[in-house]
Amino acid sequence: MPAPQRKLHLTNSGGRDATVLFGSLKARRGARLGLPGKTVRFRRFVSAAASGLHAALAEAHGEEYGEALVDADPEIDLELVGRPLGETAQVYLAHDGEVLHSPPSWVEVLYGPDGEEKGRRPPEDREGNVNDDLPVRWTGRKIGKREAIRRFVFTRTLQLTHQDGLTYDYLHGIAKELAEEEVLVMMGGGPKGRDPLIFQTNGSPYRGFLEGRVDGARYQLLLHLSNMELKRPEEPAGEGETP
Amino acid sequence: MARQIVVERGGQQSAFDFAKVDRSKLYGRRRRVPLDPAGEPCARASLSEDGAVLVRAGMTAQGYYTDEGHWVPNGELVSLDEAGQPKEPVQSTLGHAQALKGPFGPERVLDLVPHALYALTPAEVDDALVVGLREGEVYELPFAYRTGYLEDTALLLANEDGELFALVGRIVEPLWREAEERIPTVLEEDDDDHGDLDFEMF
Repeated sequence: MPAPQRKLHLTNSGGRDATVLFGSLKARRGARLGLPGKTVRFRRFVSAAASGLHAALAEAHGEEYGEALVDADPEIDLELVGRPLGETAQVYLAHDGEVLHSPPSWVEVLYGPDGEEKGRRPPEDREGNVNDDLPVRWTGRKIGKREAIRRFVFTRTLQLTHQDGLTYDYLHGIAKELAEEEVLVMMGGGPKGRDPLIFQTNGSPYRGFLEGRVDGARYQLLLHLSNMELKRPEEPAGEGETP
Repeated sequence: MARQIVVERGGQQSAFDFAKVDRSKLYGRRRRVPLDPAGEPCARASLSEDGAVLVRAGMTAQGYYTDEGHWVPNGELVSLDEAGQPKEPVQSTLGHAQALKGPFGPERVLDLVPHALYALTPAEVDDALVVGLREGEVYELPFAYRTGYLEDTALLLANEDGELFALVGRIVEPLWREAEERIPTVLEEDDDDHGDLDFEMF
């Protein structure tokens, strides 16, 4: 696990608040592609100029431009093709292909589970709520571990850690309380402490469940995040799709 | 015929058809679309660092290169372990019986960082396995969707309605946190403290 760097303001079962550190639990990379004894790097490069794209070729040579490619290689721009791409800046193109020189306006499009568009609305920014003046609150809603894994899919896990002796006592106390009861407790954000947790502006909202483990003076305090229930879609999905 | 997840426990084989489940199939999704001044959707493009090249969709490719700048065809790449040593490719586990480990407690699921969820439909199954899963047991098997260099862990479990799932990802082991870990301690050989109070330093 990388050293925790971000801060989380939370309360415990007694309503006492503290600011602690957290980091994502990440799985170790099992293997990578490469050559034994050599360093290889993954790079992106320019493979075609705009004049070599289908639309431009069709406009210049007609839809049946295959023969033109064989005869004169119009799709190859020796100045550009093969050029490595490093850092790039994102730009937006208007519907006529021109670069926009002012920010675009935005619309939020809503799709149903069947993939059909259900509506449009102006997007609203969602502010993060985990390192706020208002703490992430202990809701008191507890759920057994066995029940939790059968109801929710936990897509991310954060590990909380102390930043000094006082927060060590605080987090160890929370972990011990939860471990003894063998439950997860739901944590909520916002003024009433019931909102989903949002870790950055316009980030995905998650339901957060705190799990504690204790081994003597050592502890693990894990915030499991879920944005979906463990259930089947109403309509059967395609079989054997690629992951 | 679609490939199946096949498992083996106590000499009994079970086969499941499977279908990927993601959040958008349960709840739908939202997408923010940029609009130009005419109200038409914009396309995204990239501008190179020096501003000289406008990169539109379809203008790029990618690959592996040596430090000398030579392209390495994908067929020459091999799987390497963390020490950089060649590793045997992992065969796809689909259609091949995998021995189940378990049952495990719920912590095994909580220690999995998942990247895929599959809904399982029993094809030919050991009834005792299905009963165990529906009673809350969790079993583990190695999982590789395709032959390659990555192998994951799949956990078989059932929800409260008895529907069966395979949760695929990697197991992580959280570190134990200790009180002293944030207090730097410097020990030196001549650091013996004999209880003498040195006032000459003032």
